[in-house]
Amino acid sequence: MRMLSIKKAPMVIVALCCAAVSLPALAAEYLLTVTRPNNLHIVDPAKRAIVRTINLPGDGIPGAIAVPKDAKTAYVLTNRMESVVGVDLDSGKPVFRADFSTPQRRVKGFFAVAVSEDGKELYVHQAPVQLGRSEYKVEDTYIAVFDTADGMTAKPRRTFPAPRRISLMAATGKPDHLIALGWDMYLFNTKTGKLEQTFPVRHWNRPGIGEPDVLAMWGTFEQARALSTPYFVAKTDVPPDSPEAFKAGIAVFDLDSETLKVKEFENATTAMFSSVVSPVARNEAFLVMNQLTKVDTDTGKLLKRKDLEQTFYAINISGDGKEIYVGGALDKIAIYDADSFEKKGEIQMPGGADQSIGWMRVVKR
Amino acid sequence: MKPETIKHTRRHLRIAGAVALVLGMAGTTPAVAAQDPGREVIDKKCASCHLEDGKLTRIPEVRKTPEGWDMTVVRMGIWHKVELTPDERRAVVKYLADRQGLAPSEAAAFRFLTERRPNMQDAPPDEEMAQMCGRCHSYGRVALQRRDEDEWRKLMHTHLGQFPSAEYSALGRDRNWWEIARDKMPGRLAEMYPKNTDAWRDWSRAKHRPAAGRWIVAGERPGWGAYTGTMTVTAKGSDRYEVGYELHFGPGNTVRGKGESLVYTGYEWRGTAQLGNEQTQSIFALSEDGARMSGRWFLRKADEIGATFEAVRADKAAKNALVSVSPQMLRAGETATVTVAGAGLDAKLDLGSGVEVVEWLGKSAEQLKVRVKVAADAAPGVRKVAVGGRASDKSVAVYRQIDSLRVEPAFGIARVGGGTNPPVTAQFDAVAFLDGADGKPGTDDDVRLGSVPAKWSTEPFDERAKHDEDLKFAGHMEPHGQFLPSFAGPNPNRRGLNNVGNLSVVATVADGERSLNAKGQLVVTVQRWNPTPLR
Repeated sequence: MRMLSIKKAPMVIVALCCAAVSLPALAAEYLLTVTRPNNLHIVDPAKRAIVRTINLPGDGIPGAIAVPKDAKTAYVLTNRMESVVGVDLDSGKPVFRADFSTPQRRVKGFFAVAVSEDGKELYVHQAPVQLGRSEYKVEDTYIAVFDTADGMTAKPRRTFPAPRRISLMAATGKPDHLIALGWDMYLFNTKTGKLEQTFPVRHWNRPGIGEPDVLAMWGTFEQARALSTPYFVAKTDVPPDSPEAFKAGIAVFDLDSETLKVKEFENATTAMFSSVVSPVARNEAFLVMNQLTKVDTDTGKLLKRKDLEQTFYAINISGDGKEIYVGGALDKIAIYDADSFEKKGEIQMPGGADQSIGWMRVVKR
Repeated sequence: MKPETIKHTRRHLRIAGAVALVLGMAGTTPAVAAQDPGREVIDKKCASCHLEDGKLTRIPEVRKTPEGWDMTVVRMGIWHKVELTPDERRAVVKYLADRQGLAPSEAAAFRFLTERRPNMQDAPPDEEMAQMCGRCHSYGRVALQRRDEDEWRKLMHTHLGQFPSAEYSALGRDRNWWEIARDKMPGRLAEMYPKNTDAWRDWSRAKHRPAAGRWIVAGERPGWGAYTGTMTVTAKGSDRYEVGYELHFGPGNTVRGKGESLVYTGYEWRGTAQLGNEQTQSIFALSEDGARMSGRWFLRKADEIGATFEAVRADKAAKNALVSVSPQMLRAGETATVTVAGAGLDAKLDLGSGVEVVEWLGKSAEQLKVRVKVAADAAPGVRKVAVGGRASDKSVAVYRQIDSLRVEPAFGIARVGGGTNPPVTAQFDAVAFLDGADGKPGTDDDVRLGSVPAKWSTEPFDERAKHDEDLKFAGHMEPHGQFLPSFAGPNPNRRGLNNVGNLSVVATVADGERSLNAKGQLVVTVQRWNPTPLR
């Protein structure tokens, strides 16, 4: 059993230090992922091993993971999407908890959880419903802003309105800017709550191209500072039975330049759930579900594809762009060479627990 | 509100409810109804939330099928921890289905759903309804409810409140799902499925015949063939019955059984029975005049396996009421034994032109058995069967040869099984047709002759299925046309596919010296995790 109790924390710190020493000049990279029922795992991809498992408080199932730049705390959406729990990655102790719901009002956050770069604020897109005695009342959605210093009973410090069905959010490189992906991409100022800019996705009005279908549930943007997602879209200027009639593409939002790029790269024949942009070749992106796929986001060329041994929902990449990590769905993280797509290793989750819809983030420590 | 305050308020309301009950003020139901155990459940359990100003909320605003009400009651248990004993659950469902049910004409179009017929295509009226409602559950589940606009809107709030992923899942995320659900759908639904209708007013006022008595029954169990028999129904209290069955599937295959049933809403028969060594459930509907019954029975733990069911009441009033004629296809130039089952049958049988009764083998009020000679030059086609000079809706078809064959269902679904979820099999039938007047197969004027014995095999449906070796992994076909799917997986040899598959189902039928083929499609897909009584 590779699960470590919090009591053994000093040993883990030793392990983390050693791992850091054994790696080149750059700070060591660790993967964070979650499994059912409610565990957060710190994975050393170099050692192909889990170095620490943290049992999260509350009801599962853990999903989104947000981490500030200093990578001290991981904020995990859990408790049936009704809480965010922040845990100190060194001690394994919970240091933050925001329960969204009350007995009279159920509030869910659908994956869209982000933390400011300085780690001081946490943003959650929330969908509330009033639970009356005899009927429910759906209310408008908004983004709730939490102060991460508010500890274990954090309440929103402020809220501002936001469109429904937002599924991903990330702080951009500009102060107080938050990008949110829903029907379109919305750039908010988190201090004023103002919607500063809308990047059209559903409403992009491209000639010959319909409205895209976007299932963006996996936030992976830390390595290239680019938030990306696959999408599928109908071509409206070809006959519906043409192989060209349905295309797969990728949308990439550059967090520093605050620009959105979309590119179709093939006739849609297979589903892809999540994507990651290479930090070293920023025109290259990798996508995953039943296959691992590499595309050029400038030319729209499909560069490489390989059938995988199983389904994976989540994808990430090493800081040097050499290794691709695929996880989520079942109980395994697999590591592939980014050039050859050769499998280089795998990490089994303790007890065969499923990662399910859980995210997989990279932190540098 | 603080929790203590709520508790306090609820206690007050419960007391208020009890007082209202004693005074005969609860809802619009007269005081005598309070004696009903179902009404007691409403007043004691449901009213703890659904009572405002001495009036029930929500509950009186809806009409549903027995299954619809049962699903609501079960949901209240799951969502709001309402604890009911099995007796209380039965009582409240019976009470509500009787008083706030659907008229037979309102439920008719979606009986295939109530009867859990496998491989049926849902029937939404348009794309919007199909996508807004029918992408998560059957459209029929919607069409088997009646509410006014305000109450439909409340249901929309319940939907997103309870299933918040509705606006994130496919065909939900591509539109402003919530705004459409809140602003547009309630009006549309209230127009199509309003609470108050003439049909329900008339049905709820009318008196209905109890099901007790002797019934002549018939039907067909795919894979087994046609049956005829009897059903004896004995009253055991209001709307409750004890039932005995005797079903003859053919020489040497008689299935006997006993069970019980409960009739809801004056016509919705729900029964359980052990037939032979099988535990079955029956979902029938009495006709509006109570003289006939029809529906489907199926295995309790595998509802895709079952049989059609038709019955006529065998009482003094029955007059030449037919329930089956078998065989239904007669070859020109041959002799055959034809059996007619029904009630109050006169020994006077007309099987149409070119079909001559040459010998009477049996004459009773419930069965006529004859030897017939079919003229060599008899015209191929359908003939209505008349008994005692009265035309029936039963027919026989004369054929010279089978012109074409079809596999039914043309598109079937099986589901892999494993763990807590048993596999769902798919039963196919080979059905013979005549080309009809245009001389071409596969057109609207084709004449259906009936099911014929076939040899069954499977093939990959397309190149993709061939490449993925679906045939090897998805399961296997039994000699009687039943496909048994594989276990769910994971199957490391199949990566993301596990044991799903896309197959062609091939029936081969011998017709004299000729051999005919037909193909259907079978998709072996993933498990259903929520086997609700109404899909």
